[in-house]
Amino acid sequence: MFLKPLRFGTLAVYTQLLVRRYLSTRIIPLIAVAAVGLCVALVVIVVSVMSGFLDNLRASGRTLMGDVVISYPVQGIPYYKEFIADVLKLPGAAAATPLVDTYGLLRMPYPGGPNKDVVTAQVWAIEPETFSQVTELDRTIWWKPAASAQEALTMAEDDPRRQQDLSGLYEDAKVLRDRATGRPGALLGMHVSIVNQRQRDGSYRPRNSMWWMPNHEITVTLVPISEKGTVSQSNSRVFKVVNEVMSGVFQVDKNRVFIPLKEGQELLRLDEAPIVDTTAVPDASGNYPVIGTSPARATQILVRAKEGVTPDELRVQVAEAYEQFYLQKSADPNVRTRPPAAEYVSIMTWEQRLRDLIAPVEKERQMMRILFSITYLVCAGLILAIFWSIVSEKTRDIGILRAIGASRMGVLWIFLRYGLTIGMVGSGVGIVLAWLVIRNINAIHMALGNDAPPWLYVTFFLLAAGSAALTVRALTRSRILSVLLWTVATLALVGIGTGLVLHRGFLIWDPAVYYFATIPSEMDWNNAWITAVGAIVFSVLGAAVPAARAADIDPVRALRYE
Amino acid sequence: MTMHPHSTPPHAAEGVLLSACDVVRTYRMGRVEVPVLKSASIDVKPGEWVAILGSSGSGKSTLLHLLGGLDRADSGTVTFRGEHVGGYSQSRLDRYRNEHIGFVFQFYHLLPELNVLENTLLPATIGIGRFEWMRRQGEIRDRARMLLDRFGLSHRFRHRPAELSGGERQRVAIARALMHNPDVLLADEPTGNLDAKTGDTILDMIAEQHRAGLTVVMVTHDQWIAARADRTVHLVDGRVA
Repeated sequence: MFLKPLRFGTLAVYTQLLVRRYLSTRIIPLIAVAAVGLCVALVVIVVSVMSGFLDNLRASGRTLMGDVVISYPVQGIPYYKEFIADVLKLPGAAAATPLVDTYGLLRMPYPGGPNKDVVTAQVWAIEPETFSQVTELDRTIWWKPAASAQEALTMAEDDPRRQQDLSGLYEDAKVLRDRATGRPGALLGMHVSIVNQRQRDGSYRPRNSMWWMPNHEITVTLVPISEKGTVSQSNSRVFKVVNEVMSGVFQVDKNRVFIPLKEGQELLRLDEAPIVDTTAVPDASGNYPVIGTSPARATQILVRAKEGVTPDELRVQVAEAYEQFYLQKSADPNVRTRPPAAEYVSIMTWEQRLRDLIAPVEKERQMMRILFSITYLVCAGLILAIFWSIVSEKTRDIGILRAIGASRMGVLWIFLRYGLTIGMVGSGVGIVLAWLVIRNINAIHMALGNDAPPWLYVTFFLLAAGSAALTVRALTRSRILSVLLWTVATLALVGIGTGLVLHRGFLIWDPAVYYFATIPSEMDWNNAWITAVGAIVFSVLGAAVPAARAADIDPVRALRYE
Repeated sequence: MTMHPHSTPPHAAEGVLLSACDVVRTYRMGRVEVPVLKSASIDVKPGEWVAILGSSGSGKSTLLHLLGGLDRADSGTVTFRGEHVGGYSQSRLDRYRNEHIGFVFQFYHLLPELNVLENTLLPATIGIGRFEWMRRQGEIRDRARMLLDRFGLSHRFRHRPAELSGGERQRVAIARALMHNPDVLLADEPTGNLDAKTGDTILDMIAEQHRAGLTVVMVTHDQWIAARADRTVHLVDGRVA
């Protein structure tokens, strides 16, 4: 014999050769590849955006509030400085900062004339130095010099960050004070001022340069609440806008204003004050005798964990520390104002604080995964249908292969390998497509938000005209299939062109609804690989039934098959 | 049949390469059983050219399929070099077809997606594993080219079957059948789809292979074509007449 010894099985060369030829000489497998690719891209895009959304939520939670938050609203925690000193001794705590949070009114500098806009805002009175140690306030300050000459070059010509020397403004923001005059400063969320307008590149401009906020002042009005829960006389103070912040969380950027802690405490009457004995006889000036001091209070204390310490571990340590702090203050006879008992104080990790927000999104992502897993079945069904028809069409070829010595397993492997190849190529196409879409999702979204450019619909109409001409040519040649295909192409092109003319721009991602100003554009690679493997497995499963049918075909009948 | 696959059947005659003894084959067409072969026997000696002559439906193609291991008999035995082919396992039967048998069909049966050279190489690509293919690819391709060259197809290597004439297609089919240097060429009406002149050319090619020592079993309904063989076996109504 010429060629011996002979080997049989899945490693035989003919399976590879035939799969390659079946793929390259036919349209149907290309349709299957496209279908698998679109299914994979769909799942990867949706889950990546949702995962990015969750990651943003988590990242922003930590960025904005550190790892653990101790909160006692309205009345605040007295002796917070001592408690912070205790916290800083904890093995897991890296930094801690007090703040007072409340809602207030802002009188904006615009419009011109005496009647100015007044908006409600969430006011956070902070100690900027320690607050920056716990959160990433520095990173969110918007009007600051470019980090490098290269970054400056990426900014648009009219971006105020490129036009002005912002180093002074940045330093003012870091101390929350107009250093030139010593006046207290305020940091506004980027969307607090309605004048600020987001640009395509994600930068901001005032609609009217006159109302660029760092050139102006705002008046903050806060309402103190007494121990009895009644509203006292409101207090107002003017703050110089020293900068604006962009955290990326729309709800924060739309509502939050930072002012110095001392001013916030004064406006809310949570600052240190003497305690007088109103039952005693006043002195000659009419003042009652001072019998003690009411300590300053903070409504929240934010704590950042050391590297390697989880927020949960830190929370346990902080809770124990607070318990000790409370017991110590309660036992001290000189303390007139006791801190609230531990059970009334909320001590939570940032994730627990955001649980109401994160949990539904996690559930939605899970649900999306399950719902979109149905696309796997679509892949499998599609491949099954296509392969069923291919096996029918190739019945005689299967008989020929068997006559030449191909084994049943060899025939089975041809079609399984065919499905595997379609699954792999389709998944690859899907992942690349998803990657391209996700990378450019904000640009695509912005493009959808604008009217279609004339060149685009003109191009479609020109293509439609060409297609119509080909329809007429096919008509003159009496080619029914060509007439049908070119007519469909003409109608589709006219439809797309008309749609583009009528398109008036719409934005799907409303930052007011989705919390973040931009759509997350990071690929969730773990999910992408899992999706790709799933699509490949289901493609092979879809091919398995027709493949088994092919392997079972009787070669004698197959050779007689017409 | 309970014979050991490699035992020598009692009827196997000395010097017989391939034989069928009292083979019966019945096909089921829906609810009806159609007996195609009713106890047919044939002995083929090495180097012999045997023509099986019979009218349509006489069972000659079925007998060829049984001899080639494409089908199994309901009863009776097919032996190759004294071995009971019906007792082969499925994988041994596949190997038997690949190594020892070369099929040529009336309708050529080339794979339309493969070009001439690839169609010719097919038996080698089926029988050889990837690593051996990588090692011996040059040698194997040379043999395919040599065969095609001998059959006047050297200018058609890259052409698809659809681009060839009927005669050319059948020449490719013969080259494919000879690729593995088989012991027996089984030809089922090899000229049945060709004009007389082209058919003669094909028969000349088969005759040339036969002169070189190849054993040929050819099925035909045409006695003039059968006359080219050394010996003719008449098959009438499923029996050798």
